[in-house]
Amino acid sequence: MSGRARTRARGITTGYGARSPGDLTATSATPGDSQASGIASPGDSQASSIAASGDSQASSSRSISQPHEVAVSSDDGGRSFTERGKVRRDLVDLSVSTREKLAHVKDCKAGSSGIPLRLVTNLFSLDLPQDWQLYQYHVTYSPDLASKKLRIALLYSHSKLLDKAKAFDGTILFLSEKLDQKVTELTGETQRGETVKITLTLTSQLPSSSPVSIQFFNVIFRKIFKKLRMYQIGRNFYKPSEPVEIPQYKLSLWPGFAISVSHFESRLLLNADVSYKVLRNETVLEFMTDLCHRTGMSHFTEMCQKQLVGLIVLTRYNNKTYRIDDIDWSVKPTHAFQKRDGSEVTYMDYYKQQYNITLSDLNQPVLVSLLKRKRKDNAEPQMVHLIPELCFLTGLCSQATSDFHLMKAVAEETRLSPVGRQQQLVRLVDDIQRNQVARIELETWGLQFGSQISLTGRVVPSEKILLLDHTCQPASAADWSKDMRACKVLSSQPLNRWLIVCCNRAENLIEALLSCLRRVGGPMGFNVGYPKIIKVDEKAAAFLRAIQLHVNPDVQLVMCILPSNAKNYYDSIKKYLSSDCPVPSQCVLARTLTKQGMMMSVATKIAMQMTCKLGGELWAVEIPLKSLMVVGIDICRDALNKDVVVVGFVASINSRITRWFSRCVLQRTAADTADCLKVCLTGALNKWYKHNHDLPSRIIIYRDGVGDGQLKTVLEYEVPQLLSSVTECGSGVSSSRLSVVVVRKRCLLRFFSETGHIVQNPPIGTVVDSEATRAEWYDFYLVSQTANRGTVSPTYYNVIYDDNGLKPDHMQRLTFKLCHLYYNWQGLISVPAPCQYAHKLTFLVAQSIHKEPSLELAENLFYL
Amino acid sequence: MEVGNKMEVAEKTIPCSSVAGGNFEEVCPEKVIRFKPPLYKQRYQFVRDLVDRHEPKKVADLGCGDTKLLKLLKIYPCIQLLVGVDINEEKLHSNGHHLSPYLGEFVKPRDLDLTVTLYHGSVVERDSRLLGFDLITCIELIEHLNSDDLARFPEVVFGYLSPSMIVISTPNAEFNPLFPTVTLRDADHKFEWSRMEFQTWASQVANCYDYCVEFTGVGTAPAGFEHVGYCTQIGVFRKNSGKLAEPFVSQQHDQHVYKAVYTTSYPSLQQEKVLKFVLVGELLIQVERLRLRHQRMLREREKELDPKPGDMDFSQAPHLLLGEVFTEAEKARIDSSPQPFCEGEKFYIPLRRLLAYPKLHRLCVDEERMRSLIADSVCLSSDSSAVVVDLHNSWDYWPEDN
Repeated sequence: MSGRARTRARGITTGYGARSPGDLTATSATPGDSQASGIASPGDSQASSIAASGDSQASSSRSISQPHEVAVSSDDGGRSFTERGKVRRDLVDLSVSTREKLAHVKDCKAGSSGIPLRLVTNLFSLDLPQDWQLYQYHVTYSPDLASKKLRIALLYSHSKLLDKAKAFDGTILFLSEKLDQKVTELTGETQRGETVKITLTLTSQLPSSSPVSIQFFNVIFRKIFKKLRMYQIGRNFYKPSEPVEIPQYKLSLWPGFAISVSHFESRLLLNADVSYKVLRNETVLEFMTDLCHRTGMSHFTEMCQKQLVGLIVLTRYNNKTYRIDDIDWSVKPTHAFQKRDGSEVTYMDYYKQQYNITLSDLNQPVLVSLLKRKRKDNAEPQMVHLIPELCFLTGLCSQATSDFHLMKAVAEETRLSPVGRQQQLVRLVDDIQRNQVARIELETWGLQFGSQISLTGRVVPSEKILLLDHTCQPASAADWSKDMRACKVLSSQPLNRWLIVCCNRAENLIEALLSCLRRVGGPMGFNVGYPKIIKVDEKAAAFLRAIQLHVNPDVQLVMCILPSNAKNYYDSIKKYLSSDCPVPSQCVLARTLTKQGMMMSVATKIAMQMTCKLGGELWAVEIPLKSLMVVGIDICRDALNKDVVVVGFVASINSRITRWFSRCVLQRTAADTADCLKVCLTGALNKWYKHNHDLPSRIIIYRDGVGDGQLKTVLEYEVPQLLSSVTECGSGVSSSRLSVVVVRKRCLLRFFSETGHIVQNPPIGTVVDSEATRAEWYDFYLVSQTANRGTVSPTYYNVIYDDNGLKPDHMQRLTFKLCHLYYNWQGLISVPAPCQYAHKLTFLVAQSIHKEPSLELAENLFYL
Repeated sequence: MEVGNKMEVAEKTIPCSSVAGGNFEEVCPEKVIRFKPPLYKQRYQFVRDLVDRHEPKKVADLGCGDTKLLKLLKIYPCIQLLVGVDINEEKLHSNGHHLSPYLGEFVKPRDLDLTVTLYHGSVVERDSRLLGFDLITCIELIEHLNSDDLARFPEVVFGYLSPSMIVISTPNAEFNPLFPTVTLRDADHKFEWSRMEFQTWASQVANCYDYCVEFTGVGTAPAGFEHVGYCTQIGVFRKNSGKLAEPFVSQQHDQHVYKAVYTTSYPSLQQEKVLKFVLVGELLIQVERLRLRHQRMLREREKELDPKPGDMDFSQAPHLLLGEVFTEAEKARIDSSPQPFCEGEKFYIPLRRLLAYPKLHRLCVDEERMRSLIADSVCLSSDSSAVVVDLHNSWDYWPEDN
């Protein structure tokens, strides 16, 4: 059964890898071997942790692990301030102050160009008295009390603290008022009449901006949200009592909020955004049965594993969620496990006794979940067995996400317009302010929760699109396809020696396609010659064989007309032509070519992609800086082997920023950080030198794919790699100046522009560099895309390293310009083009190729 | 289901501070009595067993404290009204949300409504909202009452509230010598009774308000000390006149002296919206199963006509591992209902067929109601007698594809 053990090991590593790179190094040293053997023997003492699946009774809260940082049912006194000993990862980032080292933005990081615009945000003021401080006390008991509950009860009932605002997790006490002495001794009496001495020692006085205070505020708000009858799942809060149902797909959407309290540019603010939790209205057992009917027995276990591992389930008998790490087919509900107290009981009897639940299917396997470690010293993750019949699936599985109709139905419900979003926010504020308990909680701490923050942003001027003999000012920057119709692209190679591989059925589509390609290619300046057509059987292997047979170094491009979107066609072709035999390739679905009335736009898109793949350039924007190299870096994990990190690196190699050097490196590392950046950048600089006979004077790198808590690693590990490449290449004389910008597409922040009383999406080119930003960073928000429906989400830029010393205004505008240069889309995109190229490249490699593409293609955008 | 009320005598050195001196050492030195499961759990289990046996609809726990017992009781499908009363308002405030429905209960709701309410108030005050209950529990409550309150207690609980059944538990003082501490088990206890004292009091009360009472307990004494009796003594009172309470209630004046601190209602199939959601969900699962079964049948038939050599044998239908097992009666009901059928690429499943499957049958809706509930969620045939779906959809997985 080594196969299963391997799967488990993988499951373990991904689980931790996805969460925190720090943990991973510890667990991956022994890739789950010890755990795997633990699992292999059913019903061993390890399994006693199943009891954990059980109650959230107070008596068990001390020993029972909870998969999430803060339990849903944590009670008032029981909240733990460090969230199970860990500081939240986004708060870790905040301790990395990069701005203080950047002299040119120390005093002001705001830009100036553009038209000022009033914006409403989803930030809410959280005011505190001027001299507000949080007093942190360490509490000891003599004799020592083991029970956290008892410790809390004893302290809370003490008259000295009775009417004070306090929060206590059993060891650390927070007060909003200072006690008279540094060390205070109290005496309490237990119910048994024992006298206990309680010693409170002041350990620190914290200003509201300190990380501990921030974490504390988050705890306060979590408590408030619970009072509003919302349930915490992960870090967000949901209202299952007001579900939106999509019955056709057996889905429920629970509305809720993602919230975060933190210190922004100048003050403490609450950030709240609407969020939906997707719930599948079926148990894991029902899902499995369905799958079994679908796939037949021969593939069943394999499919189960594939579809279920990694999903989050919710159990029926408590409010906990678990990640499925494995399925153990050898354990059945009739098997016994050892309870915490040592006695043995079968799963079936346990659920009957504990929860009055009768299991209907005694043949079901058990789901295995590894709990996040909660104690520092406890090296082995705890394991839990869950009964499929008692678990509900949350989120969408891969099968569902590839279902276009389903995703559309979900989007229809979750994609809120600015007006809808604003309504939800207003209602939330109203709920908090009207809830008496919430109000009292805030008041006792001196917090004043109130108004929605407005700020002033700027709309930077729109850009002109430069074509070969034409400059156009697009009517809408979101889509200039109409504006550039019949315009010549900057440069293109004629396509003369190429192949089309298709199956017999699709043969009749070819003539129409070729004629359309010629019709759109002519005006573009892209000449399409007649291809060699190869007909093959409708099998992935047949396509590959034909390609292997007919492709020679002389061939410029291979087009494949695929009969279906089955992954194996695409993957095998791309793998062969990107790496084994590097030739640009273009895959087209036969179905796409049969759409009536769409042919011209399909052909335009194909012609543009082929132009790029042959090394052509489509359009440009005005770049005032000469000799500037821009770079995009993205990182993701390989779809098949989660131990492999795919790093995409795409750098411009001409000063017009129209030609690119693309490189992708696979590295076997635990952390989501790149350690190949020196090689990549040196390669790019050599290319630049080859084309421009000089080195670029400036390099600006946009780094995407940075998770919460990784900022420090990027700064301390990746930036030095880049710097050393720059220094070595420049050989001291005139080394390029470097800037590194971290790009984040996903953030909680939203901006609305207001006309009259109607909120709407802010216009393209909106920049925000005050109030919603952070004092310790050189950062800004940029809206560079539109959302036809729904609310636009701004992209967040954080300049963590900057030798270039560009004015903030120039940095912002340059970033905006770069969002115009993605050749796969005739319009603006949400991130700078090099980031999107890097993303597209890593996606292709992680999903389809699984190895490094050949460097021979590095100067072609072969992955578009 | 009875969990063994075993008791364990653990060898353990007693920390000096907790030995308050006294006669325990004379009895069995260096030994501390630990119950397994813990005594409080045994008390709760006793109540749970009662609920299991008698299936009360309305249950109140007087002196509910941190609401632990209520939390255990809320899982019982028979209970529709669950009330907790306590004098400590802060405790009710901070524990209320433990009684809110589990997230899973929004996905698979209960059959019957359930409302949970916590009241702040004293058990010796009369509140008409507690009238007409099937079971009232007073677990370790009476020993906390001072003599005035204790005197008023029977009159309120037995006389005024007058539920069908009352459970009263209290420490058995005769057991105390086995503990290391001398006096009372809790600083707030006003008294601890011997068996004789409790039984005398209880019998008098029962007599006075026309109840019968049985005595039992939880927490058996260690071997050799059985004569002291249970650690916790319990009286179970049952009203002799049976269920006469309810008509009587309506004639009373509403008397609301308790303050409602927390109240929550559970989603249940009695609510139209919830019923619809569950019905459509179960129906779609069944439709999907039948559709796939039909597909498989067609495939097998094809294979019989044109057997390919080397083809894998899929005819061993996979339903042997997982899935519902029908009883004879269910099978008969399904077999006698109209069969699903195919017309071209459309697959029809008669509503009556669907209603025959146990998971839909148990929802107790008739064909007409079902039609109206599902009409805007699924596609019906022109005469509205059947659900129509495409026989094949693009996401069907074909094992042969690989």
